[in-house]
Amino acid sequence: MNRQLELLISIQNLELMLRDAEDADNSAEMETMGLKVDTDKIKADLEAQIQEIEPRERGYFNRIKSRVDNPVVAVWDGHCTGCFAGVPTSFASVANENKVLHCESCGRILFIP
Amino acid sequence: MDIKDVFELASPKLFIPELEATNKQDALAEMVDKLVDSDHHISNRETVLQMLLSREQLGSTAIGPGVAFPHGRALATQDLIIVIARSSKGIDFNSTDGKPTNLFFMLVAPPQDSGNQYLGALAALVEKMQDDSLRDAFLNADDFDSAFKALNGEE
Repeated sequence: MNRQLELLISIQNLELMLRDAEDADNSAEMETMGLKVDTDKIKADLEAQIQEIEPRERGYFNRIKSRVDNPVVAVWDGHCTGCFAGVPTSFASVANENKVLHCESCGRILFIP
Repeated sequence: MDIKDVFELASPKLFIPELEATNKQDALAEMVDKLVDSDHHISNRETVLQMLLSREQLGSTAIGPGVAFPHGRALATQDLIIVIARSSKGIDFNSTDGKPTNLFFMLVAPPQDSGNQYLGALAALVEKMQDDSLRDAFLNADDFDSAFKALNGEE
């Protein structure tokens, strides 16, 4: 997989972790279990990974993130799971393996799980 | 989500009776491979593994005694999935008590889940695994069915 796309997915997964960690109820439950994560550490990891993205992709990521809270989404059953628009079948072709592709409808960054 | 609901997510296809791995990273990789080999339509192992490693870097999920709960949400799944693994020798998982970890419950959750199943499942497992006799019975069971009977308190 394209290294830039790997990073973008990892960043989105960290964003999900941060969302859970910043939720007061979730955080209290995690603390009870002994599994609470320091949000500052997550933010630091996020920032470090964002800096690893190439400037062009980073700019695109930040533009999409300013509009939606999930700039990177999976394609399930031929649909973008951000806006549910259909994704062309050619998206999954070998020729696209090393490209970062975007949803033609909402602009989110897409990947096939 | 109570523990019975959690056990319904478990399956022999997602159970590793004896891990080959001898360290933390390999153990996580082996569990992710088991997930990829199952019928959950996940082909991209690296993104799931990276998520779990990132979580472990933020603090070990081996909260003991002898049990770890590697977990997190991943774009790569639509469903809450649980992989269960055992290691009779134990693995250094940077546990909070410094002891080797023998039992692993790996939870991979989708970005969104109704009723926050993920957290409920995690809480139910953590609570269940505080019981020494259940934990020992699960560790020593011969196979998947016996292991789950042990967890359910059956003979």
